[in-house]
Amino acid sequence: MASFPDSQWFLTLGKLMHAEGELFRRLGYAETRFAVRVVPNNTGNGGDRIVGLVIDGYQLTEAKPIVDLNEYDPDFVICGKREIWDRMLGEIAEHGRPQLRHTLSSLALVGEELWLESTDQLREDKFYRFNQTLQELLNLAAKVPA
Amino acid sequence: MGSVHIKDEERVGSEAKYKLEPSVYLQKLYESGTPDLGWMNQMGEWGVRAKPGNLGLRLKDIEIGSYGVVPEHGGAHRSMAPRGAKIVEDLPSLGFTINEKAECWADNVSELYEEAVARQWSSARDIPWTELKPLPDDLERAMCQLCTFLTEVEFIAADAPTRWMGQMNHDFFEVKMFLATQAMDEARHMDVFRKRALANGGGLGKASYLSELSLKRIFDCPTFSAQTGRLQLLGEGFVLTMFRQGEFLAPSRVDQEIFRRCMQDESRHVGFGTMHLRTQLKANPAVAEQLHEQLDDAERILLETFSVPEAVEPMAILMGGGIDHFDKGMELQGQLWRRIVHEYLQRCDSAGLDRRPRCILPTDFNKMFEAAA
Repeated sequence: MASFPDSQWFLTLGKLMHAEGELFRRLGYAETRFAVRVVPNNTGNGGDRIVGLVIDGYQLTEAKPIVDLNEYDPDFVICGKREIWDRMLGEIAEHGRPQLRHTLSSLALVGEELWLESTDQLREDKFYRFNQTLQELLNLAAKVPA
Repeated sequence: MGSVHIKDEERVGSEAKYKLEPSVYLQKLYESGTPDLGWMNQMGEWGVRAKPGNLGLRLKDIEIGSYGVVPEHGGAHRSMAPRGAKIVEDLPSLGFTINEKAECWADNVSELYEEAVARQWSSARDIPWTELKPLPDDLERAMCQLCTFLTEVEFIAADAPTRWMGQMNHDFFEVKMFLATQAMDEARHMDVFRKRALANGGGLGKASYLSELSLKRIFDCPTFSAQTGRLQLLGEGFVLTMFRQGEFLAPSRVDQEIFRRCMQDESRHVGFGTMHLRTQLKANPAVAEQLHEQLDDAERILLETFSVPEAVEPMAILMGGGIDHFDKGMELQGQLWRRIVHEYLQRCDSAGLDRRPRCILPTDFNKMFEAAA
């Protein structure tokens, strides 16, 4: 069975996103190509895993492993250590959403546990423009074993 | 004639200033029964068949042929005749003063307009108000003061830019449409923060002289671009970070929902402003000095605004989780200050404005205290 951060795991989220169409239509459409980067807990050894994701409207249309981020050219990359992702997914599994200060936006604001990388602030700002869609997509992990 | 009953019909027109005189065309039509149809040969580009994409028929889908061309110079007729329509002679001018594309345009404006329309929300329906629970007095007072500040400043981003809307050449209608969504967003922000202040046992707090001064300076900007620099690059960029802080420091899911939704709206406004200034600076590099002068003053007032208790302390109390953790809250604010400055300068970079040498916002929060000592 696929587990986080396999591409297939994200594609399963995508299927749930499609099934939960009304929720996402109510939030409004999103259009962004971005990436999730999972950094091993003991840093410095490499071994990052990066998944490229595309949201087109109300659907996750792409999830694939990325080797060359420059070539993929995402709007932004959400980076975090494995333990931070695991904590978020654990909270989502338990409560349906992360704790108040453990949301994508909150963690990226402080920038220590989760941080954003982007070549252009204008493109990075899509993380904020579509933030609720991104968070609701991850919250669907409550229905998918990580 | 007709079955609709009109009250006191015999009195209609009995004191009219002008006498109704049927046009020559209507008389001819009545007599001959033959329509003119000459207008059928006076069309814009004909045979256009825009196709909807997966998200419906959006503005970008109708940017076809001549209809997709946004002119560098707005129509000389200065009227609201639709871009691409057959323009007749002697149209009454509406006296538009913003007639150059670079003066108002942003390449992402159509995208942002459609996105804004798609992502509208309702403060009455979409905020889970019934989940609001009583907070400790210090947290509620801090949240209410923050809401007072936001209620006070948010609508400037509707009032100020829409003053320019009526001066923009109608060939740049996409900009007007986007600004209309921005005005709607700001109405909702003013409404939601006022509601929040009044919904949980608190009330409105203290208004601010410095905030009002800051708003007045935005109001008084000499050009749309100068105002965009002041309002969207610095002001809304700063408020965007405040919304993100709000999402972070929210003591309840209700507050988190409010701030997150406002954050999404605000980032569209900042996105428009950044892209507009990029367009303007590329076409007219000399505008940079005007922008710098606005930002010199705006940064100074911003620093003054955030040097008074009612601005500093509510955030620290909320960040720390109560007065007892005030020091922790101040420490967190210091960390976030660097992010505010970083993102502001990044947006200036993205717009093509090298602000770093002239920026007076300290990158280190502690310098604000040292300077005062």
